[in-house]
Amino acid sequence: MKKAWFVGVALVAPLALTACGDSGTGGGGATGGGSGETIKIASLHPLSGAAAADGQQMDNGAKLAAEAINAAGGIKSLGGAKIEIVSADSQGKPEVGQSEAQRVIQDGAVGIVGAYQSAVSANIATVAERNKVPFVIDVSSADSILSQGYKYTFRVQPSASVIGQQGAQYLFDMSKAAGKPVKKVAFLHEQGPFGTGVRDAFTKKATELGFEVGPALSYDAASVADLTTQMTQVKASGADVLAVTGYYRDGVLVAKAVNSVKPPVNAVYGVANGAFDLPQFPKETGAAGEGYFDANYHPDYTKQTTKDLAALYKSKYNDDIRTGAVLSYDAVRVLADAMERAKSKEPQKIREAITQTNLESLMAQSGPIAFDEKGENKGAIPILMQVQKGVVNQVWPADLAQAEPTYPAMGG
Amino acid sequence: MADHQQGVSSSGVAPEEDLSTTQTATVGQSRRLVDAFTRSRLIVVAVIATAVVLAYLRADSPVIATQAIVTGLLIGGVYGLVAMGLTLIFGVLDIVNFAHGAFLAVALFITWWLVSSMGFHPYLTMLATAPIMFALGYAVQRGILSGAMGKPLENQLLITLGISLVLENALLLFFGANPRAVALPGNQTVGVLGAVADLSRILAFVGALILAGLLFLVLQRTRLGTAIRAVAANDTGAQLVGIDTRRIYALTFAIGTACAGAAGTLVAPLVTVEPSTGALFNIVAFVVVVIGGMGNVVGALVGGLIIGLAEQLGTIFLPGQSPLLSVFIVFVLVLFLRPQGLFGRTS
Amino acid sequence: MTQTATTDRAASKPLPRKPWNRHLLAIAVLAVLMVPVPLLLPASQQSIAMRVLIFALMSVGWNIMSGFGGMFSFGHASYFGLGAYTSAWLLVESEVSPWIGMAAGVLVASVFAVVSGFLALRYRLKGAYFALATFAFAEMFRLLATNTDLVNRAEGYHVPLKVDESWWWMQFAPTSPNYFWIALALLIAALAISVLFLRSRTGQFALAVRDDQDAAAALGIPVIRYKLLTMALSAAITSVAGAFYVQYYLFIDPDLAFGSAVSIQAILPAVIGGVGTIWGPVLGAVILGPLSDMTATLLRNPPEFLAFLAGRGGLDVMIYGVLLIIIILVLPQGIYSAVRERWFRP
Repeated sequence: MKKAWFVGVALVAPLALTACGDSGTGGGGATGGGSGETIKIASLHPLSGAAAADGQQMDNGAKLAAEAINAAGGIKSLGGAKIEIVSADSQGKPEVGQSEAQRVIQDGAVGIVGAYQSAVSANIATVAERNKVPFVIDVSSADSILSQGYKYTFRVQPSASVIGQQGAQYLFDMSKAAGKPVKKVAFLHEQGPFGTGVRDAFTKKATELGFEVGPALSYDAASVADLTTQMTQVKASGADVLAVTGYYRDGVLVAKAVNSVKPPVNAVYGVANGAFDLPQFPKETGAAGEGYFDANYHPDYTKQTTKDLAALYKSKYNDDIRTGAVLSYDAVRVLADAMERAKSKEPQKIREAITQTNLESLMAQSGPIAFDEKGENKGAIPILMQVQKGVVNQVWPADLAQAEPTYPAMGG
Repeated sequence: MADHQQGVSSSGVAPEEDLSTTQTATVGQSRRLVDAFTRSRLIVVAVIATAVVLAYLRADSPVIATQAIVTGLLIGGVYGLVAMGLTLIFGVLDIVNFAHGAFLAVALFITWWLVSSMGFHPYLTMLATAPIMFALGYAVQRGILSGAMGKPLENQLLITLGISLVLENALLLFFGANPRAVALPGNQTVGVLGAVADLSRILAFVGALILAGLLFLVLQRTRLGTAIRAVAANDTGAQLVGIDTRRIYALTFAIGTACAGAAGTLVAPLVTVEPSTGALFNIVAFVVVVIGGMGNVVGALVGGLIIGLAEQLGTIFLPGQSPLLSVFIVFVLVLFLRPQGLFGRTS
Repeated sequence: MTQTATTDRAASKPLPRKPWNRHLLAIAVLAVLMVPVPLLLPASQQSIAMRVLIFALMSVGWNIMSGFGGMFSFGHASYFGLGAYTSAWLLVESEVSPWIGMAAGVLVASVFAVVSGFLALRYRLKGAYFALATFAFAEMFRLLATNTDLVNRAEGYHVPLKVDESWWWMQFAPTSPNYFWIALALLIAALAISVLFLRSRTGQFALAVRDDQDAAAALGIPVIRYKLLTMALSAAITSVAGAFYVQYYLFIDPDLAFGSAVSIQAILPAVIGGVGTIWGPVLGAVILGPLSDMTATLLRNPPEFLAFLAGRGGLDVMIYGVLLIIIILVLPQGIYSAVRERWFRP
């Protein structure tokens, strides 16, 4: 009997202690911010870990959006209520993203933007669906996230299948126009759902268009340190183009490996690559990164609003803005716009309003941001970029191009 | 009481030495033992040779196989160095040091910090990391592990596990989880027999061999080394002849940790510097130690080369699977078929 | 309390206290006390309570093989992961109810335990070698799962959401007390099974084998059979924890199922609470469960002198390590045994 009491007390005591030590969580689910004067939107990104640099940028982008909206008068239909960004760290891990999402919802967030890694976004989508809080994905490409019939998750970037398909199409068109139609593409990708999903979509379209994709080589983006072995296999494969899907850090490693192994390819062609279209990439790799392509979603630098945002970011954070940050900016705008039209800060009403979104984007798109019944952004497309003389230029399609593509880009 | 397999050579640097001192062996018996020994070595060589030939047949091109062999052997040298420290600790203190990889990770971060904030050349930092890790190992053994000597195996495993958790997470806490890199100035790609290898990898291999040789010299030629081998062979006997075993324990642990530290500095330009890198080397070190025979220093070095080879050849035989899987397959096979290791004595 | 063999080793290993009926009564009282907990607990504490229950269940499982059975396992993640993946795979690929999936997971894990255990015993792996072998198996599962298309590679499985609450699909509203009650029921069952196991012939023989295998064999106890039974039971309980984990967190991937962190989570509560005792794992889970949350909260808004640590991770596991070292050095029998010696001495 004593045992039972002992263990019973021991069980309850730490829980009570935690309750005391906890910093004001209050009760259950969220129906909106406290006083009506600030509305909380959670920004859930990898602030630590391998993708920390991108995660940090995206968090900054979200904050800039909130500042711009508040400076313009806040949510006018709610009496000028201000948006407050609550930053949370997913650490790049799905289970942490899940628990953080749960936590911020319990703390009163009425919407979430995030999360960069597809596996993390998938978990957050589940939490959002169960708690009926809208989740706007800024960066995460996996198709599977939005194929479960979730009503509360939306995505502003184009999905993996759109990027993969368009990427294959652009490569085909461009190489044909240059007189050297592509024949065989070696595909190097990170092994998670992101890399695999893009590869699959690319391969499917390639087969339709009539060129070969293989070998497919994968690596663990979180821990990889050296890609020489894979590059040797590319060299031995006889491919005339190397396609790469991955994140920033491994993109830099690819450039190093290509530089040392020198596979005889016409071009290194990123597909949704998180490195090749960022301004930091040519700075970090120098001559090694020259001529690299990337078929990816990209901010539209022919628009003034986008140029202003880039300048603002540079002056405030002393760093070139990355694409992810522009997407987070857009994602917060989507939520705020929905709140404005819904005239409410209730998550369920916000979600209703999001389905009717028709918002001009800062990204290069084929139209305004508008969501289909799955939650995908109908206007989102990838465009083709190339590193030319240390500058990333938009090169395809012609109506969004800043310069002509150079193909073949390498010795070959 | 360390509950391990009977007949494991818990001492010994060179197996031949052990054999010649086996008291109960008659000439005839010792000849047969030597034969058995040479036979087992020949089997190992034969298996490796077969694997290499199969690799060439299986690979899409001979260059890929050569690349795998070159890369495997080069990293195998470093694995060997790490494992030598571990096996020495086991041979002398009978401790299964699960924190070995964590010590390596600490050395990695010291290297990174010295390179990035003070601009040292990466290899130069070894002048700092080796002594620091030596001191750390000494302190850990005297402070924490001495209380666990002679306790059941599980307790030791758990304490060293605890130490590894503390060290790795202290790194995580203070340095954060963002991966970092250490660049070797003047790094370039070198052609090796038709394959390519980074200079940093080659230098790591050479460095590992040099340090292994140094360790061997210390063990064989110095008084300290003799004392260490004496304690490994017979703890009580060593005490009886006046050796201060407590000091030897601490020194041996410190030397083992210093090996891990030196290996850390050598591999810093090759790997991503993050707290979890140590865990990877930890696993491999254990596999190598078992393969080489627990307590067998030469076996550890050779075992390291074998495991490095197995890891890379695995990418040819099991494409799409992690190279670590082939390491574990070899590990499990050796554990079941020959747990005393490829170079340990048979019971 | 009767001491069995005369070797030092046996004397240092604790024996669970008889009489058994008092244990069973204590379990029943605990069950009753815990029932109202989810209704009284604020939502933010619910996740901590769940973690405590899952840890406790895993550790009770581990304790059976490594505490009572004396076979130190460093790779209990194998069983946890097999339970998790079996039930997840059946659910996602074949729409099988998680209850059935849980039973299937138990089957798979037990079979694996018996097969791998038999191999280990046949090749006479002991001590460090045995522990390393268990670790190797868990790692191999993890690597295989990460790279095999059949189980979705690194992506793992998401449990599809059902529209309404359902007992058949084990899915409820996020803050539903049903999750707690199911986990509590599983833990109570596991504890009761522990007691019944120890009371039974199998358990007594397992203890005898643990304390002195040769003596037990000399007495005619079929050592291998009872060792395998112990391992199978241990695997079964741990796999149930795995299957439940999937249903509560709605997600599993190779690292969460087979990672070394899982094996450590099975070991720590038992070691800290008291290896080889019935209540040790529960006590240990209660201590360790809230720890992660407390450190996370602390680091989110740290006091001045810790400001440079803001937002960082790793403090909780570091504390695990420190606790582990302290306990092994100072209280190697665990907290429960130490307290029991002081307080409950008749």
